[in-house]
Amino acid sequence: MTRLSLQEKMLWVQLLGIVVVVLFYGHYLVHSGPGHHYFHALLIGLLFLFATFRLILRRSSGNVAEDERDRLIASIGARWSNIILWLGLVTILVLYWDQGSMRSAHFLIGILFHLLVLAGSVRIIREIVAYRMSA
Amino acid sequence: MKSPLSNTIRELRAARSMTQQELADLIAVTRQTVNAIEGDKYSPSLEVAFRIAYVFGVPLEQVFRYDPPRARTK
Repeated sequence: MTRLSLQEKMLWVQLLGIVVVVLFYGHYLVHSGPGHHYFHALLIGLLFLFATFRLILRRSSGNVAEDERDRLIASIGARWSNIILWLGLVTILVLYWDQGSMRSAHFLIGILFHLLVLAGSVRIIREIVAYRMSA
Repeated sequence: MKSPLSNTIRELRAARSMTQQELADLIAVTRQTVNAIEGDKYSPSLEVAFRIAYVFGVPLEQVFRYDPPRARTK
């Protein structure tokens, strides 16, 4: 077994982060009453902040994935993630079409939260699998 | 599924006492990518393939060999 590359280590850290968020979320759901939209909104906000910060950091330092295999695997992960996001978007539109309204902003934030977590998890797991398959 | 591409990078490296990391630095990829190419688990781009051949100073066909998959018999 080959040693992990930096990109792969980053993926495992991200996976750990997702697991921590899911565990924390599960704990929160068990120990809190109904209406956890603030938690969703907070996490979505943090996700956007993290993504923006990472993008700015990469642009400023030129620290982008230079290795062609890393780029290929990143594109595979992005493709899977995009499929999940598109399916989620279609689901939201179908729900809207079916019900005529979004019920509430809380409901929409909840769906977006689960969609982002799912898309992120799928991307990370798919990339880890791709790294292991071509290691 | 086995890749139809095979290569002699490991032998060429050994003949020059070159490590995977040294080759990776010369062709601007990671050591893990060199390892994957050597193990026929990743097919490099044409550019990287030419870079590898250039580093070893041999023609491309001496580094890589293409074995077309046998056609299925009906």
